Amino acid sequence: MDNTEIEILLVEDNSNDAELTIRALTKAKIANSIVHLHDGAQAIDFLFGKGEYAKRDINNKPQLILLDLKMPKVDGLEVLQKIKADELTKRIPVVILTSSKENPDIEKSYALGANSYIVKPVDFEGFAKAITDLGFYWILLNQNPL
Amino acid sequence: MKDNKTMIPGYFGREPFFSINAEGYVTACNYAAERICEITSKELNNTSFKTLFTQPDLAEEMLQRASTAGMVSDVHLSFRSSKEDDHKNVVFGAFCFSNGEDQPSTIFAVASQHESDEGSFQNILKEIADYKYALDESSIVAITDQKGTITYVNDNFCSISKYDRSELIGQDHRIINSAYHPKEFIRNLWVTIANGKIWRDELKNRAKDGSYYWVDTTIVPFLNNQGKPYKYLAIRADITSRKAVEENLETSLKETSDYKYALDESSIVAITDQKGIIKYANYNFCRISKFSYEELIGRDHRIINSGHHPKAFIRNLWVTIANGKIWRGELKNKAKDGSYYWVDTTIIPFLDEKGKPYQYVAIRADITQRKLAEEEIIILNEELEKRVKERTEEIESFSYSVSHDLRGPLRAVNGYAKILEEEYRSIFDEEAKRLLGEVQHNAKRMGILIDDLLAFARLGRQEVQGSLIDMNKLTAATIRDINQTITHRADIRIKNLLPVKADHSLLEHVMGNLISNAIKYSSKKENPVVEIKSKRGDCELIYSVSDNGVGFDMEYQHKLFGVFQRLHSADEFPGTGVGLAIAQRIINKHKGKIWAEGTPGKGATFYFSLPEII
Repeated sequence: MDNTEIEILLVEDNSNDAELTIRALTKAKIANSIVHLHDGAQAIDFLFGKGEYAKRDINNKPQLILLDLKMPKVDGLEVLQKIKADELTKRIPVVILTSSKENPDIEKSYALGANSYIVKPVDFEGFAKAITDLGFYWILLNQNPL
Repeated sequence: MKDNKTMIPGYFGREPFFSINAEGYVTACNYAAERICEITSKELNNTSFKTLFTQPDLAEEMLQRASTAGMVSDVHLSFRSSKEDDHKNVVFGAFCFSNGEDQPSTIFAVASQHESDEGSFQNILKEIADYKYALDESSIVAITDQKGTITYVNDNFCSISKYDRSELIGQDHRIINSAYHPKEFIRNLWVTIANGKIWRDELKNRAKDGSYYWVDTTIVPFLNNQGKPYKYLAIRADITSRKAVEENLETSLKETSDYKYALDESSIVAITDQKGIIKYANYNFCRISKFSYEELIGRDHRIINSGHHPKAFIRNLWVTIANGKIWRGELKNKAKDGSYYWVDTTIIPFLDEKGKPYQYVAIRADITQRKLAEEEIIILNEELEKRVKERTEEIESFSYSVSHDLRGPLRAVNGYAKILEEEYRSIFDEEAKRLLGEVQHNAKRMGILIDDLLAFARLGRQEVQGSLIDMNKLTAATIRDINQTITHRADIRIKNLLPVKADHSLLEHVMGNLISNAIKYSSKKENPVVEIKSKRGDCELIYSVSDNGVGFDMEYQHKLFGVFQRLHSADEFPGTGVGLAIAQRIINKHKGKIWAEGTPGKGATFYFSLPEII
């Protein structure tokens, strides 16, 4: 495993959404290093060095996690809970991605310590703008305490 | 009540007995008299009394003394005899029986053939006299002939029947007939006395004034020597007051038993002692509880306890009745077969002289059907509430999944179309660019449709928050918002709007929809004008938004407020057909109304009313 600094960890099961998100972030030149994982179980393994990521240096932490809520196996809320419960990961800013602001899980996310959330807009411009704004804020402006 | 004990006739039967009229002729006699005179009573009738004796002067003197003094005794006379020297010496006693002041009196004379028994004869006579006196004083006395014609009545008879003596003599007893007694009863009376037997019973008679009186009546037939009655003595005692008491008693008894019958027929009745031990249970009790009478008696009500009621409830019942108060309530009981039944119950304590209950009467009515219906309604209501909740949750999860699941693919369509537009535009020809534009346009429309649909669904569970709204301010703010998104401009005129109590954000939505519609549908006019007005109605405030645009055919007005219903194509005027449906839903939630008027080509006016809450 390489030790390249990870800027953004994107946990998203929808490959279309993932592709468009990555494209928007790269196009806005916000992040060069984006890791895309497809479900919650993978994300936990990645962050805590388990399973297929057993040999990964878990101290190489992402600067921002973009976390989709609705995912198969382990959903976003569970991943969020694990991240915020562990001393190692709890300071990493987590931005929740959701399809609807109606989602009652948004409130639960905040309760669990999510830093922000993005409703994925239907139109691409809106989506790209929301993603870039968020990325810009958390990667470039927000001073990570660690 | 019948009492055939003989009273007077014994005396008249044993000793020779004569009745003598005022002229001194025999009018009647008994067997003993026939025997001693050796002639039949027929022959004796109208025979001069004194001629029967060897001392006629003495006999005549006796009659005179009797009619003046009322009574004479100890007169020694000898009957004439067919045989020489066979003198039948007797001792006579006689008394006068007055038939009233102006009426000739009758003398009764009794002979005792036992000279040695003088003292007892005296007693007999005295007894008869006393009896007559007592009878006249205490009783109602009448004598009739064998046909029933009244020949004598005493004062008591007159006073109770309210007839004068003169009105009664010569009449028969039909004059006081009350018609109360059945014919059979009267016939039996006549058969009895005509056969020489004493009749005794209670008679209801009618007085002259129409009032009724009851008399305990004894009719004694006087028999001639053929054993046939030739007259009747009727002795009556006034029992009217006793009868009245009896009748009342009977009536109340009957009423009581009627009540008991009605109660037993209609209700479930049980009687317990002060400890609650069942002493009586009626048929209905047995039937509903499915226990037999024998199974219930001696048990307490725990035998039908359903366990449904809390202990405090049962304790309250006992405290109430133990304190002598009536308890009323609805009880769920358990029958022998384990089935349950509901009874509307009244328990009445019966108190002893110390005020302590000595027994309880429980009257119950079966209300199982009603209770079942009530329980069913409760269950149905709960079910309904549950279903409404479920449905609401379904709608919520539906709207969430619509937004999530439909938006995802739509986002992808939009996103990839955008990438095509940005990065491949240079190699697209005009037709490819047009086709890509159509994809983007339709994807956008679909996004709006989804958002509108979600907004409509969201309204279903949105609570209406009431606050006093300055409609002028609200409308002005709404127009500012609209102007940011709509490119058309119209001459908007606001006529000082009345304030209203309603939900601010919801009303903003309605106003926004109506005004943007007005602008949209008047956009093709040269001088589009939108007018916003309000007026006070009957307990309501009516607001209107009118335009001079394309208008609509009133025939289709019912379609205006339906979801996805449109009167114009999206090409003609963009829109999803949800806006007015949302507006209607909001107004309905405020208990108001929304309607529209329009003329094709001339414009439309949309009205909505809101209740005026002060």
